[in-house]
Amino acid sequence: MKTPFIKTPLKVTLDRGVRKGMAQRMIGPLDWIGWPALGVLAATIVLATPMKVFGLYLPEPVLPLALAFAWPLIRPSYVAPLVLALMGAFLDYFWGAPLGFWTLSLMIVYGVIFLLRGYMVGQDMMVIAGLYGVAVIGFFILTTLMATIDSGMVPRLISVFEQALATFASVFLVLWLLESYVHADVRFQ
Amino acid sequence: MPHGDKHFEHLKLPVNWGVMALVAAVCIFGALSFLGDRREEVSGRSYGNRSGFDAAAGPASNVLATPAHVVGDGANWIDDYFFAVRENRILKKRVQDLSLYRDMYFQQKDISERYEKLLNLRTEPPVEMVTARSVSVSRGPFNNNRLIDAGSNAKIRFGNPVITDQGLVGRVVGVSPKVSRVLMITDVVSRTPIMIARSDARAVMSGDGGEFPRLDFVRGKDAVKKGDQILTSGDGGIFPRGLPVGEAVQGVDKVWRVKLYANRAPIDFVKILLYEDFSQFPEADQVLMTPQITELLPQPAIPQPVTAGAAASSAGVASTTPAGGATSSAATPASGASATSAAARPAAPRPAQPRPAQTRPAQTPATQPTQAQTQSAAATPSTEVPF
Repeated sequence: MKTPFIKTPLKVTLDRGVRKGMAQRMIGPLDWIGWPALGVLAATIVLATPMKVFGLYLPEPVLPLALAFAWPLIRPSYVAPLVLALMGAFLDYFWGAPLGFWTLSLMIVYGVIFLLRGYMVGQDMMVIAGLYGVAVIGFFILTTLMATIDSGMVPRLISVFEQALATFASVFLVLWLLESYVHADVRFQ
Repeated sequence: MPHGDKHFEHLKLPVNWGVMALVAAVCIFGALSFLGDRREEVSGRSYGNRSGFDAAAGPASNVLATPAHVVGDGANWIDDYFFAVRENRILKKRVQDLSLYRDMYFQQKDISERYEKLLNLRTEPPVEMVTARSVSVSRGPFNNNRLIDAGSNAKIRFGNPVITDQGLVGRVVGVSPKVSRVLMITDVVSRTPIMIARSDARAVMSGDGGEFPRLDFVRGKDAVKKGDQILTSGDGGIFPRGLPVGEAVQGVDKVWRVKLYANRAPIDFVKILLYEDFSQFPEADQVLMTPQITELLPQPAIPQPVTAGAAASSAGVASTTPAGGATSSAATPASGASATSAAARPAAPRPAQPRPAQTRPAQTPATQPTQAQTQSAAATPSTEVPF
């Protein structure tokens, strides 16, 4: 008779019972603010490479918008809006926009989402994705108005739509951030 | 009980209110910065505080973009491999067409040069150029900028036009020692004075963040037709006249737009014209001045005195000095030099040929008369000519 295969555990885990949650890791600002911010900046620089792939230019999404949407949903923080302001200033300089253009627009999105976070946290991911789409539309309406005020020329709306579409593609970054960091730290549960 | 817990154990930081206050403060700061920015003026002062950032962002972009360049080169290699036959056919046909244009170009250039000499036209001088590589680009609807890896060390200055081998790209709006920022002609704040080559009509090309900038202020019936070539007009002195820009196309909204030549190929390497306006040339006043009629028309015949002795004397002089000019004027005392040269020089004046200061050789005013001397001499009455 063949002996049944007994799977031996590789690691013995300690059952802490009711205090199981205390064994989870603590999430510091570097985890959910620092590294995502640096990654977004690096991606922004790489996507600004002047090249065509199969006849098409690289897209130019406003990736910090994903952070402006996800960070207030994760937890209230003093660091997040400051880092977001710095990222907006970076976009102002890097893309040659008027000073304050991206800073103001990103910060408005952050503030609105922060006010509404009580209604949004805990919703299904499909709902969150839909709300992110609404945020993207509102964000680009706002930036279009600001650009029109600044330059006196309405930006080409097809190009605005293209950039909005590329920005909405970063919804996966939003979902990953929420999945990874909402309620991930017991100190904020 | 630890000291102090009694007073602070119920103290809870109002995080939400604090964050909202912080967000409001940043919004106010951003709004003030936005309202105070004068980017739409496209002046050196409005971009002046960004040169430090550009100097740091240029090399960083170059390093971080290396993987993207590798991927792009690989994709282009695949593209070339699979479409080589079709591209070869297209190129053969294009070479055939361009050979005809090349022959026509040489013919017309020769004719044009002869006309210029005959008419004493004051043509614009050749402009020195610098080649640079584009290291970063923003191509969204709100901003169209480029960073290029050449700056003030290569004599690039604010306002220099930027072109590719295809056509006009934009102009320099920010300069640091090794990196410059180029405002594309598609940017929402870009306005370019252009002319339609067929009708010579003038218009202003306004960028709107898309690939097809629109034509504003087009005057005249049938001033623009589909396929008309668009060139820079040189009006306002921002761009030199005659740079190729694109072709006229009409959108579904019946607005005339420009299909840019620069979009025919990826904008990788660019050329920066070291041109600001005519004032940079050493003889700017000569270039901008309308030529006097005495410079264009042949000088009238000088009336001769009727005395017999003088007539005989002048006949003798004429027989010994066929040109009648250089030798006699050289022998004249300095006090009468200008008047003598006026009589001696032929009517054809020296056309103003200003050149950039970098290529102009050192002048020798002692041996070569200046344009002003020529004009004053031509305007001298003939009665002052000594015999």
